[in-house]
Amino acid sequence: MVDIKDYHSDFENKWCPGCGNFNILEAMKDALVNLGLVPEKVLIVSGIGQAAKTPHFLKCNFFHGLHGRALPVATGAKIANHDLTILVNSGDGDAYGEGGNHFMNAVRRNIDITLLVHNNKVYGLTKGQASPTSDMGFTTRMQWQGVISEPFNPLAVALALGAGFVARGFSGDVESLSAIIQEGVSYRGFSLIDILQPCVSFNTVNTHAWYKKRVKHLARTGYAPDDLEKALKVARQWGDEIPTGVIYKREGVSFTDRIPRLDSGPLISGTFNPEAVVSLISQI
Amino acid sequence: MSFDVTVTIGGEAGQGIQTVGDLLGLVCHGAGLYVMAINDFESRIRGGHSFFQIRISDRPIKAPRRPVHLLVCMDAKTYDVHQHEVVADGLILMDEEISSSAESAVRLPITSLAKQAGGRIMANTVAAAACLALLGAPFNLLEAVLKKQFEKKDAAVSADNISAAKLGFQAAADISFKFKIPGTFPAKSEGKLLTGARAFALGAAAADCRFAAFYPMSPATGIIQHLSEFTKDLNLVVEQAEDEIAAINMIIGASFAGVRSLTATSGGGFSLMTEALGLAGITETPIVVVNAQRPGPATGMATRTGQGDLLFVIRAAPDEFPRFVFAPATVEDAFEITRKAFELADKYQVPVIILSDQYLNDSVFVTASTFSIPTTVNRFIVTDADMDDPGSYERYALASDGISPRALPCNGNALVMVSGNEHHPDGHSSEAISVRVSMVDKRNSKLAGMIKEMKPPRLYHENSDVLLVTLGSNAGAVIEAVDLLRSGGADVGCAVFTDIWPFPADTAKEILSRAKQFITVENNSLAQFGQLIREQTGLLYAGAVLKYDGRPMFPEDIVEGFKKNNEVAHG
Repeated sequence: MVDIKDYHSDFENKWCPGCGNFNILEAMKDALVNLGLVPEKVLIVSGIGQAAKTPHFLKCNFFHGLHGRALPVATGAKIANHDLTILVNSGDGDAYGEGGNHFMNAVRRNIDITLLVHNNKVYGLTKGQASPTSDMGFTTRMQWQGVISEPFNPLAVALALGAGFVARGFSGDVESLSAIIQEGVSYRGFSLIDILQPCVSFNTVNTHAWYKKRVKHLARTGYAPDDLEKALKVARQWGDEIPTGVIYKREGVSFTDRIPRLDSGPLISGTFNPEAVVSLISQI
Repeated sequence: MSFDVTVTIGGEAGQGIQTVGDLLGLVCHGAGLYVMAINDFESRIRGGHSFFQIRISDRPIKAPRRPVHLLVCMDAKTYDVHQHEVVADGLILMDEEISSSAESAVRLPITSLAKQAGGRIMANTVAAAACLALLGAPFNLLEAVLKKQFEKKDAAVSADNISAAKLGFQAAADISFKFKIPGTFPAKSEGKLLTGARAFALGAAAADCRFAAFYPMSPATGIIQHLSEFTKDLNLVVEQAEDEIAAINMIIGASFAGVRSLTATSGGGFSLMTEALGLAGITETPIVVVNAQRPGPATGMATRTGQGDLLFVIRAAPDEFPRFVFAPATVEDAFEITRKAFELADKYQVPVIILSDQYLNDSVFVTASTFSIPTTVNRFIVTDADMDDPGSYERYALASDGISPRALPCNGNALVMVSGNEHHPDGHSSEAISVRVSMVDKRNSKLAGMIKEMKPPRLYHENSDVLLVTLGSNAGAVIEAVDLLRSGGADVGCAVFTDIWPFPADTAKEILSRAKQFITVENNSLAQFGQLIREQTGLLYAGAVLKYDGRPMFPEDIVEGFKKNNEVAHG
């Protein structure tokens, strides 16, 4: 039996006190335990940013790589061994800014990994610049006249690209977030979980209290996440009422399931077959 | 008198110039001859000027030569561009259909014969057959090659091409041509006929490479094209990534998870990969990256050749970490160095860069030796069974040779924690002074073992007054240039480097010091290899033969350059 203590890491946590990341970490541990996954069977891949530090703060296998590049590393690892359970911890800058192209293509591939985007609508690690999801008019020391570009809507983009699992979580509701993560990890394909979280240091607008007033969990409204048109509408909803929960879910065939070469088992399994290479050479 | 003939077939892109060249190569190789061919084309799908130049000899050949004995003009431009290359007793063939004032060209109804056989698309078959008739090759060999070429297509296509070949063969029967293939047929052919691109792909296959990710870029795409075809027969997956950054990060992920992985690109794509090259360096993840060079900077010349990325790949990515750089000289090297690259990447847990170029990738060569395939592959990976306490496994445990035991993620109780941030031996990020220094030292300490893996340069007439020094694919032209210069009385030899980094400085110094002087031969404008030798050995090259027009090095270029260097030295 796996216990939440099994995921405890002695490594010193480096987030600001009160950061939304703590709740996300708690929800992740809870989800992994509820899924019956032991740390030895979990691989977390991350890029760069405050969110990308997450794997250091729980015990598991991890690959903490470059800014924006977690998804291709995770994709390569999944192709090499599709038996791995892979989660990616990323932020709004990492996933939607630096890694935007990889985000789009991970959706297109439907690679079976779970992307958790800690979306605080601001850059934390680099001390408070606007992020791709910052609202219009959001002011920072850098964007002192306010952001003049439209915010990136990851949920709508993912839906438009044909994503089969699109969800929005809130760091202030650990129980619901854990349930969403469990559903995302269990989903056979690419699962996007965009997680709204406050940044106590650099975002004085979208605070915990600001979200608390606005978020409305879809599961409590009788919403069924099976209609793409409705999902697109929900994904675009922002302002006085912000829906959270699984917005859209559709079964599909995951990337590694589409590669006939992998039908007989993970790429990593199997032994070297020199005869096959000899045969290729003899065909010249 | 030995047989040594060069045939150039020129025309527009889309006219099937390469098909003519392939047929000539296959038939002549089948006739027991040695061939080597260069593929010169523009970055366009239709039009422009392309040519395929094939050298055919009864002795092993290593490079293309300047004089052309038979020129086949599939368009008027070919005549204008190449007629001056044709030797006095050579022959120029031109399709009758082309309007041109080319007086010295012998007209042949290539297109109309193709139409007679079933369609103008077979003009290339007619042209190839005419060339082979002129060279005195037996028709049955051509017929056999055509049957093999078209065996997977409609039987009618094969039959039409054979009749086109017959017509072309007969049409050329009465044209006199001095250079005839000697000997009797059938003769036993030596070696295999293949491109560098195919040899690289086979080398990867022989190393049990199981994953390749790429973004298409000339001239590297050929390698991946072959690997993609190999996925039918091998435990191998090839993925076209969204960009080169994704490609290299994917292979890092796949290698981390446990399969040997490769990417191939050219200079521009390699530039995009450099941050991740550093990631492979600091995370100590084995990867193999082929940079098939073309002239730059930026887009440069997409379908041309060059060696301008040498100093770049040695230094690419921020800060310092050990890496291997190899520059294969031949198709045998392309195979063997690629195979070995995977082994060294695993053994030292470092990235390995293989420097190829358009010339080596796209040219056709005959192998001089057989490719040997190992029966097993050593992965240098540990599991729980190799550890006293898997629970306390540290991915970056300090080791005197810098090589920490490498376990795979989710492969037991040992947790594998990897970070591109500077890290503690357990993989957690750290900025502590002692950790930083010990990790840099640990990574650098691999160099002591790595340098011992480097092979000395290949030597030819090494006890001469003057040594030509080169790297990679220039080798063939340099060796042939040595023969030409020596036959002209010069005391010249050469040293060809394939193992470039870490630079085998002691060996290089010993060899180069023996000669009175050495001249560097390179496909770039600033003598990058000469600079590297000076930096690493303190020895300065006396002269440089530098070619940076995007075309491959010919022995004649080196002979001319050598003479110019001499004039400068003595004038």
